[in-house]
Amino acid sequence: MTLPFPSEAWAKAFADAINQNEAYRTHGKPWTFGDVAMIVYKEPAAGIPEEAGMVLDVHEGQCRGVQYVVGEGEAHAAFEIIAPYAVWKEVIEGRLDPIAAMMQGKLDLRKGHLPTMIRFVESSRALVKSAAAVPTQFPS
Amino acid sequence: MSAVELAPGAEKNAFASMMATLIRQNLDDHPSRDKAIKAAKGRASIEVTDLGIDVTFVFDRERVVVYDGVRGIPDVRLRAPAEVVMATSNMEPGPFGLPDPRGETNRKVWEALREGRLEIVGALRSPLLFAALGRLLAVR
Repeated sequence: MTLPFPSEAWAKAFADAINQNEAYRTHGKPWTFGDVAMIVYKEPAAGIPEEAGMVLDVHEGQCRGVQYVVGEGEAHAAFEIIAPYAVWKEVIEGRLDPIAAMMQGKLDLRKGHLPTMIRFVESSRALVKSAAAVPTQFPS
Repeated sequence: MSAVELAPGAEKNAFASMMATLIRQNLDDHPSRDKAIKAAKGRASIEVTDLGIDVTFVFDRERVVVYDGVRGIPDVRLRAPAEVVMATSNMEPGPFGLPDPRGETNRKVWEALREGRLEIVGALRSPLLFAALGRLLAVR
């Protein structure tokens, strides 16, 4: 069964996938810097009528919970990463490296401490690889 | 504290904005790194070979200005793919501030250097400038 992205069901499956990812457990172990939000811009043409965000309560290599929020500015986290739906699709499908995407301005760190984000580059990659494990249905 | 500026027009280059933010936040976290700016004069460029994006840092002992693209003839040039460029910021420090030879990221950087994926030009001719760039971009 595939899960629509973005959605509450997808966010929960993503949290489960993170907790099953050995690489994330290792690289994310020192992470104690707060929640990370993955936010998708509002894009009605792509079937996303409002800004949507997944706020991941990640701590010491584990995802302790996830919150799916809808509405502009509703996703509050220590680190907020925002991008258009098409960019998230490329990242989730493993066709775009999240750090390269940030360097190109495709992914925007809207809020958060950049040196910490760079320090945890392998952790970020592992997080994104977890997303690839979720059977995803992207809106056409 | 020394000024960190983004040159006019450089905001269109996300990597330039990212570098200016990184230096500012690093100086906030480690005010002693300001000495690196005060000791450096000249131009240093970073060319991200796989993404086709470049930035130039112009140091004049009082401030550092980040430009879009390669400007003038840099005294120090660093050329590498995105993954290696980010790894150079993430090198693990060892005793006396030198890179720790056991560090996982450090080994990746040495390997990239040996394989020619990382090119560094001018570091021996402009050691203070090279050291300043390293200090200001280091996230550890």
